[in-house]
Amino acid sequence: MALATASGPSNATAPTFGVAGTRRWILPVATFGLLAIIAIAVNPNVPSWMDIGLQKWVRDRYMWTVQNSNSSWIFTGVFNPLSDAINWLVESVQWILRTLRWPGVLALFAAIGWMTAGMRAAVSGGLAMAGIAVLDVWEPAMVTLSIMVTAVGIALVIGIPVGIWTSRSDRAERIVRGFLDTAQVMPAFVYLIPVTIFFGIKYPPAVIATVIYAVPPAVRLTSLGLRSVPTVMNEVGESFGCTSWQQLLKVQLPMARKTILLGLNQVIMMAFGIVVIASLLGADDLGNLVLKGLQKNDVGAAFVPGLGIVLLAVALDRISTGERSTSTRPPLIKLPTVERRTGTLIALGSVVVAAAVAKLADITAIPDALAVDISGTINDAVGWVQDNLRKGVPIIGGTQAINDFLVTDVLEPLRKFLVWLPWLLVVVVVAGIAYLSKGWRLAVGCSICLLLIGTMGDIPGGADGRTHLWDLSMDTLSQVLVAIVISVAIALPLGVWAGRSDRAQQVMRPFLDTAQVMPQFVYLIPVLFLFGVGRGAGVVASVIYAIPPCIRLTGLGLREVPYTPREAAISFGATKRQELVKVQLPLAFRSIMLGINQTILMVLATVIIAALVGAGALGLVAYEGFTKPIQKIGQSAAAGLSIVFLAIVLDRITQAWGTSPEQQRRS
Amino acid sequence: MLPAHGDLWGASVTDPMIEVRGLWKVYGHRAERIVGSPEADLPRNELEARTGCVVAMREVDLDVAQGEVFVVMGLSGSGKSTLVRCLTRLIEPTAGTVRIGGVDVTKADDQQLLDVRRHKVSMVFQHFGLLPHRSLVDNVAFGLELQGADKGQRRELAANTLELVGLRGMGSYKPHQLSGGQQQRVGLARALATNPDILLFDEPFSALDPLIRREMQDEVIRLRSEVRKTMVFITHDLSEALRLGDRIAIMRDGRFVQVGTPAEVVMNPADDYVRNFVRDVPRSHVVPVDAIMDPLGDGPFGGDISGDTKVRDVVGRVATTELPLRVIDGAGTPIGSIDRMGVLSVIANEDL
Repeated sequence: MALATASGPSNATAPTFGVAGTRRWILPVATFGLLAIIAIAVNPNVPSWMDIGLQKWVRDRYMWTVQNSNSSWIFTGVFNPLSDAINWLVESVQWILRTLRWPGVLALFAAIGWMTAGMRAAVSGGLAMAGIAVLDVWEPAMVTLSIMVTAVGIALVIGIPVGIWTSRSDRAERIVRGFLDTAQVMPAFVYLIPVTIFFGIKYPPAVIATVIYAVPPAVRLTSLGLRSVPTVMNEVGESFGCTSWQQLLKVQLPMARKTILLGLNQVIMMAFGIVVIASLLGADDLGNLVLKGLQKNDVGAAFVPGLGIVLLAVALDRISTGERSTSTRPPLIKLPTVERRTGTLIALGSVVVAAAVAKLADITAIPDALAVDISGTINDAVGWVQDNLRKGVPIIGGTQAINDFLVTDVLEPLRKFLVWLPWLLVVVVVAGIAYLSKGWRLAVGCSICLLLIGTMGDIPGGADGRTHLWDLSMDTLSQVLVAIVISVAIALPLGVWAGRSDRAQQVMRPFLDTAQVMPQFVYLIPVLFLFGVGRGAGVVASVIYAIPPCIRLTGLGLREVPYTPREAAISFGATKRQELVKVQLPLAFRSIMLGINQTILMVLATVIIAALVGAGALGLVAYEGFTKPIQKIGQSAAAGLSIVFLAIVLDRITQAWGTSPEQQRRS
Repeated sequence: MLPAHGDLWGASVTDPMIEVRGLWKVYGHRAERIVGSPEADLPRNELEARTGCVVAMREVDLDVAQGEVFVVMGLSGSGKSTLVRCLTRLIEPTAGTVRIGGVDVTKADDQQLLDVRRHKVSMVFQHFGLLPHRSLVDNVAFGLELQGADKGQRRELAANTLELVGLRGMGSYKPHQLSGGQQQRVGLARALATNPDILLFDEPFSALDPLIRREMQDEVIRLRSEVRKTMVFITHDLSEALRLGDRIAIMRDGRFVQVGTPAEVVMNPADDYVRNFVRDVPRSHVVPVDAIMDPLGDGPFGGDISGDTKVRDVVGRVATTELPLRVIDGAGTPIGSIDRMGVLSVIANEDL
């Protein structure tokens, strides 16, 4: 054969096919088999000696902080001044917003929107704010806004320098990334517990919790933006003799501006999602009104502030989207172009004028004639829904029927089964799955996380007077698993559809975009509306919250499959179906797995929130720590930690599915 | 004494394997109206400004004979990739007909089209288009898999084909473990595995290093002599075109500027554009002796030489004898003669 002299493989690591193929499995099978037998043989319930007394420890710490918050140096010297400073910042922002009055704030949103993204953003931002005024939730909305502005400010002050630092040092990047990854997996509520201990209630803990959540995207995108500056541009700077500072200010930051601005939008939307949740700490903001409505099972009362949250989210998103939107959409109105400086002056001037007019005319609140009270209408609608949609709908039977089916035929049997299983057997099975997914290290890590849940102790309640947190964790796990399965079952086909049809993509995109910026809280309202209270409602809320990222990532993954292999497949006579099954889906596999991983994180993030619509289990226990801290803070912390352990296990296992075998071998 | 100048539009072959008539590709809204209209002749920018349409390929006629290697050469944006994709409707042509092995591809329904793609035509891509998640064997077997061949059968066939392209025993590797040249061998094997009548090459070697590229060209030459497939080969590299092509079409702005044998294109460029292209090509490398021979005299002769021998390859022969060489055709019939002066005049005029 001419030219059969091809050189050997460029990479010398030949796959080890069939080498000791069966022998490789003997050790793991034997190990897990033996462990499983041991697990079945020993006590099926978590033994009481495993309780490490965490609950009592947390409670004692909390009581100590309550008693010493005015005497210990750690409070008088560190936390209290910090709290005071944050309070002062939030109140200053509130003072500015009050001074501007609602016409001024409205003008401010429009002005920012106009300066960053043009007329369209100005109009939609202004309209959304006007909607808030009309709904008569202006005051609480301004409280929410002031907490958010303060938190975002602090997050940027921390995040941008850290981002610059990590972009310039690989070691810094490694160190910081560890923290960022952990911060991102944790459900927001988990931060709230320690934060409450140190910062009391109301604004400071809300701001701190929000900052913790908003710093990672700020760091990440600053670093990403700076690192993506082409090497040649850095060389240009160096060759002309830039100092390190000049390089940063004159070359890197300007070139990274777009990415960093995109980061700003993410920071704001992240922060907003948490601010709303932080209302549990007792700030009198929009989230708190929703919460009160939910607690009273009064959909109308929850709906109006919920709508306010939606409007505020839309307004914030539009005015912070920046240049991202301008290039893709035609201008709404062609305005005469003005110089940037003049434009800024005009925009700021109009804000001042609006505020001055408001002061002179003494406009403080929206005139009664304009205000709309829709809570009555909503409650009528709820009545109609309860009469007409919950039962007696042909075929699907109505939302109540779906709820009942979920609870009695799916959730309850699964929960009973998981609780019935010897607890160590669950650990062994999960470890086995982890081993198959990635290897021994993950198996050990997951086992440790699950064993740690066993050390969390038990709490009062349940059939036997005490319930171990393990059983509650299995309850939560059953809900989470069901929610994940339903979410993926709905989102994958939709994602595939969006990835293959431009029309489908166009139809879904506005929904996905809006869903992405909505705080989890908002989803509870329609769920409550349709499904009432209970575990079924909790699952549905998680599903609604978790579906959008899965659709988005699946669609994106399919679209990002390079065209060449697809074209090759078509040229060899692949049908549409074959192209999807044999080329697109395998090549988009990692992206789809990432979508499923995101789905799982989203579902876990709603565990506590779902408790607000009656999902119970760990979420309820964790939540009660906020309402009755003195009695329940210990068990709340234990439940919160259990959620984190579950989250880590599910996150890491599904992450392993998304990495290719080559990457695993390398790592 | 040149052979008759081939038909400029390439439609000169009897009983062609590929037969293209009046093929157009226009991008943009209501593209059909541009076809054949006076606007189609507007400069690119003006046409786009006026109608929003861009003409990628216009009025292409083309016949490729069974077993012929037809090379389409042009710079980027000349429409050559569009042309090769229109042959199996990877890109839907705006107007015109394509017949492959007698089947009108442009009128074929979905099933017929799949049949053409699965059994009659295979394509080799510039960026290989291998499936990264599959082993080499499964990549090569891809076409067979789509046809519905069973696993054992297609793997065996694929392994044999891998051997044919010099990748014996590497079937379980993944594409990313291979060098670019090796990856393209896999691309070639994949195209051969379905045993098609026609192979289409879309700039298959332009992503490769010069040395590897040459090696791969040799591979194609070898395949041509061993398996006698009809090939359409797209390239932007003139030396590649001259090396591989039985006939070459030079493409510019979506249309054929010239079609002919390598010698015809080099000796008689159709216009300044082509002339510019072939200016640096050493004539003696492409011109066969039968293109410059003298009429057959009485002799005596210093020996016989085949008419398709390139001029540079007879330099050694004419240097060792004072006598002219007798030129014979494929059947062994004497058709003319060539002497030292004839050879030297070709070489001497090369730098013109």
